[in-house]
Amino acid sequence: MNNNLLHVNLNAGGDITRRNLLRLAGGGFASLAGAGFLKSLGVNAEELKRQGRSCIMVFLNGAPSQMETWDPKPGHENGGPTKTIQTAQPGVEFAEYWPKLAKLAGEFSVIRSMKGKEAAHERGRFHLRTGHRLLGPTRFPHFGSLVAHKLGDPESDIPNFVSLGNTVSSGFLGVEVAPFIVDQAGQLPANVKAMQTGPRQQRRMELLSLQDQDLGTSGAKRIAHEHQELYRKASKLMTSSRLNAFTLAGESDKTKQSYGNHAFGKSCLVARRLVESGVPFVEVQRGGWDMHQSLWQNIPKTAGEVDQGVSALWEDLRDRGLLEKTLVVCLGEFGRTPKINQKTPAVGRDHWAKNFNLLIGGSSIRGGVCVGQTSPDGLDITDRPVSVEDLFATLCTAMDMDPYEELITPEGRPLQIVSEGFEVSEILS
Amino acid sequence: MHERFRRLRRRLICYLACLSGVLLLASQCVEAAPPRKKKANPANRLPALKESEDKLKFLEQIRSSFPTVRSRRTSTYGSSDLDEQLEKYISRETRTPLAPIVDDATFVRRVYLDVAGRFPTSDEIQQFVSSSAPDKRSVLIDELLETEEFARKLARYWRTVVFSESNANRNSVNPQAFEDWLFEEFDADSGWDRMVGEMVSATPQRKKDTKPQDNGWHQDHGPNNFVLANERKPELIASATARLFMGISIGCAECHDHPFDKWKREQFHEMAAFFSPGRYYMTDQYDPTKKSVVEAKFLLGEKPPKVLKPDQRRVAGAAYLIYNPDNYWFARAFVNRVWNELLGDGFYSVDSLGPDKEVMHQLVVNRLAASFRYEEFKPKWLYRTILNSRAYQRETRTVERPEDLFTAVRPARLRPYEISDNVEQLVGENKGLSNAINRTFEQDPSIPQRDLEGSIQQALLMMNNGTLNNKLINSPLKKQLMKIQDSKALVTEAFVSILAREPTDEELSRYQEYLKASNKRNEAVDDILWVLVNSSEFITKR
Repeated sequence: MNNNLLHVNLNAGGDITRRNLLRLAGGGFASLAGAGFLKSLGVNAEELKRQGRSCIMVFLNGAPSQMETWDPKPGHENGGPTKTIQTAQPGVEFAEYWPKLAKLAGEFSVIRSMKGKEAAHERGRFHLRTGHRLLGPTRFPHFGSLVAHKLGDPESDIPNFVSLGNTVSSGFLGVEVAPFIVDQAGQLPANVKAMQTGPRQQRRMELLSLQDQDLGTSGAKRIAHEHQELYRKASKLMTSSRLNAFTLAGESDKTKQSYGNHAFGKSCLVARRLVESGVPFVEVQRGGWDMHQSLWQNIPKTAGEVDQGVSALWEDLRDRGLLEKTLVVCLGEFGRTPKINQKTPAVGRDHWAKNFNLLIGGSSIRGGVCVGQTSPDGLDITDRPVSVEDLFATLCTAMDMDPYEELITPEGRPLQIVSEGFEVSEILS
Repeated sequence: MHERFRRLRRRLICYLACLSGVLLLASQCVEAAPPRKKKANPANRLPALKESEDKLKFLEQIRSSFPTVRSRRTSTYGSSDLDEQLEKYISRETRTPLAPIVDDATFVRRVYLDVAGRFPTSDEIQQFVSSSAPDKRSVLIDELLETEEFARKLARYWRTVVFSESNANRNSVNPQAFEDWLFEEFDADSGWDRMVGEMVSATPQRKKDTKPQDNGWHQDHGPNNFVLANERKPELIASATARLFMGISIGCAECHDHPFDKWKREQFHEMAAFFSPGRYYMTDQYDPTKKSVVEAKFLLGEKPPKVLKPDQRRVAGAAYLIYNPDNYWFARAFVNRVWNELLGDGFYSVDSLGPDKEVMHQLVVNRLAASFRYEEFKPKWLYRTILNSRAYQRETRTVERPEDLFTAVRPARLRPYEISDNVEQLVGENKGLSNAINRTFEQDPSIPQRDLEGSIQQALLMMNNGTLNNKLINSPLKKQLMKIQDSKALVTEAFVSILAREPTDEELSRYQEYLKASNKRNEAVDDILWVLVNSSEFITKR
């Protein structure tokens, strides 16, 4: 038996799931799917090493300006009034709004030469979360769904992909690995407390399972199967011992303060708690970056929250020894025009996909590297362009996943996770 | 309605001449138009268009000079024509057998969901199934189409469509006013052309010295809300107009040439120029400080006179959208959406049509769209035609290969408001609960039904929501069930009231058994209610 058998797709009829296959292979003892069981299937050491690897994606909705974040252009009119600060990386400056992350810049890497293809929010948010453009009929999965699919435990009692805020879907990978969306960071998910408990709840669930089997016309089978699967997962979540990870219970005031008393800070803290409890993928978000106007009025607060939240997250992960198996990436959907527009009442920057930047660190990503360079006016990439495909090849590699593996869609179409990209080897250790 | 238009036409005959300027631009397509005197009047003598009624009159005039109405006299297209044509194409492309026609019990459940947006009550089911009238299906269809529920369902659908991607400030829109206006229009069976004409040509102007939350943008005037939902931005209005009313995703051409379609960036901005209050400038793709003036030009090359005032230009844009017969996308987009809602699959993706080669059974959908046009874009005509067809009345089956499309109906997840209405029917009105359901089940109605997904959050809501569960165990249905001594009758009543069908023998015996084995009948009944409300069938159209 090879590895691939452990990663069977949920097919169109919902018939074969990885869980079913494990159950099949294990003679009905799904609970034996521990290390010993995997070994007995001939799973190699690398497979085992993957266990526990996680990713936190910090998504800056609205597309931050590269020049007011980590690729400032002092001394050029396109740079605007933004001042710069020296970071812990020799020769690398950040915009002034990022003092905390600047101090940590020796521990993670910066890519300043991201090259996009989408300059509309909807399409950009899809591109930078899935690695594929929103074209044609195939809906590619969020990277988080891919991680949940490849690395998540299908029998987990807590979803393998949690997003604090609405996000892109699992596409053709289906509901099995869909993001579990939490509206309010720091609180238990809504309706997670059971109405009934004990044997009565169990009786209800048994009756429900029989009832769903009855939705028997061949066409609705898929919906019925999905439904059963979701109820099974919901039930597990309701009784999970890890529910506390969604809350801030037991965190000291000092910790909470370090993350910041705002929704984004709380999201970052919850992300750490979820990763610590074994969730392989968490997305946190901070909107408000679509600064067509009043950019310089708005950016201190917006950037300030993200600077505080992400740096606290970084230090906390590091101090708890979680960094070496946790990949952290902080990005938006594209960049903003180097030339300042003339919007009233106060100017800003418009949409721009030609070049933008991001932060990446943890896991097997080296710290202290600044990849790529843009011209002094910010209009062009002058060194080492990195495509979105390259980025996703890098993310896969950092998560110990094969970027060139083929996934089979429900329609039977083989699709490579990354088709035209190469990992950014200079930041991989 | 007809009489009203005729009167209008007489009264407004003087406008006709003024219109010729606009109409001439579409002159390639007016071969079949009635002969009319062409007077060369300057376009700036167009009516002032102060009220939205003026705009409708204006549109009406334009409409009367296109061949829409005339051709109808010789054109009839009914459900059987549709089936005949469709089955011819289906059989040519697939060997998959056509699914059989559903029985009465399934039909009555399905048609109530699709037309009234809710499950039928046990009385309604009983009445229909026991009737022996041979034409009872078409009679029921006619009756349902005349209900306010039908108009409300359509109005809600379009409200969600228009607002699902809107980022407009909540203070400057009024989705409820929009829905209520649509409700009136659908209830009166107004033409889709009139409704869209009014939406697209609206020019909301802010009342002086008022804030948006004080109805500053006249957002309480229903039709203004399409433009307000798109933040009055020409680019957004153009993009939404193309996507929602033509089924063409042109939005990405805002920034660059469409990668796989024929639309160019310039074309997008030329269309956006119709919706600009003044001169329209296109920003340079690479250098935002450079801008060039773009003149309004519709997608098929139609240009309005240069001297038009902004709202006159909008009406001209609406006219090109709606009444140029060469713009067959307009009628077809509505037909395709309705078809997609009723059969679970569309002839093409509802809002991102690529090249026309992606359209399945193109001749069928084009013919249906043309007939829709000849029938003066009456939504009820379209619904009636589809609902009476065999294509609609087939059993459900998942269709995976494009060539098998329409050999069966695809089972579909219900829309959030359908679920909340069905819940409301059981537990009574509760705003908080309805909101929670609508929010948790929310999805863009333009997503094809096959791509709709369930979620753990939805399961948690149905399982554990306190209000839902408390109301359910105190509901009139529960009280009624507790009065029934015979457990077979009890189970049957529960099934009919919650799932709108009778239980199978297996189900009957299972739940009878359950009631018997339970020493607390009260709790056992609660369990059955819980199970049926949580079943996949409760959220699925079959």
